[in-house]
Amino acid sequence: MRFMIIVKGNAETEAGAMPPEDLFTAMADYHDQLARAGVLLDASGLQPTSKGARIKYSGGKRTVIDGPFAEAKELIAGYTLIQVKSRDEAMEWARRFPAPHGETAEGEIEIRQLFELDDFAPSAAVERFREMETRSKK
Amino acid sequence: MRFMVLVKADKDSEAGVLPDGKMLTEMGKFNEELAKAGVLLAGEGLQASSKGARVRFSGKTRTVIDGPFAETKELVAGFWIWQVKSREEAIDWLKRAPFDNAEVEIRQIFEAEDFGDAFTPELREAEERLRAQTAGRR
Repeated sequence: MRFMIIVKGNAETEAGAMPPEDLFTAMADYHDQLARAGVLLDASGLQPTSKGARIKYSGGKRTVIDGPFAEAKELIAGYTLIQVKSRDEAMEWARRFPAPHGETAEGEIEIRQLFELDDFAPSAAVERFREMETRSKK
Repeated sequence: MRFMVLVKADKDSEAGVLPDGKMLTEMGKFNEELAKAGVLLAGEGLQASSKGARVRFSGKTRTVIDGPFAETKELVAGFWIWQVKSREEAIDWLKRAPFDNAEVEIRQIFEAEDFGDAFTPELREAEERLRAQTAGRR
């Protein structure tokens, strides 16, 4: 089963501040451990919402709202995707995640399970997703 | 440049209601267009936050809080990762997405060169090694 570890933002990530070198190193070490354990699928950081946008869909209309967005603690600053055998294993790794904004700063991560195609009732549409998945892995 | 498209949760996604056949079919078609255009790098759905957890970091303390989480509109229900030439291209694609009554957020993903000097040659080498290791796993 796959899980996404979501790192929440704060005022600094929203200001576009680069992480200090010790945090960078802690993140690199942790992801290296994930990779060695065969658990790591992907990980990336996101630029501040000032470079992003939101699109609202309502009654056939699309409205584009440019960032930045206000609620810093609910915004996402980065993510790590892992493949594990159980939720316990995912939580074990999550507890070892480096304090996301440095040891002296408050921080929060969220751990969410990904849907697998087997979670959906079989249908023609699900089959097409499966074919797309197979193609993309080639 | 790469963008992460975050699809926000709603009452249905948080209740574990799966998208209906019509939505799956439309989403499948949209994904196929993205794939044909070479834009689609990844696309996943997240299970309801009731199956997830958060870890809060404060000093040396780590506190695990099990889901579900209340602020539905701030939760993520799914995401894409797209490779596009510009922010405008990402927004143009999004305007064609088969949503109704939804809100999505697009965020640019950091690339190694965005980090400047903080991303030392050693870290860069480690990053490239990780990318090579995980490439076969996705």
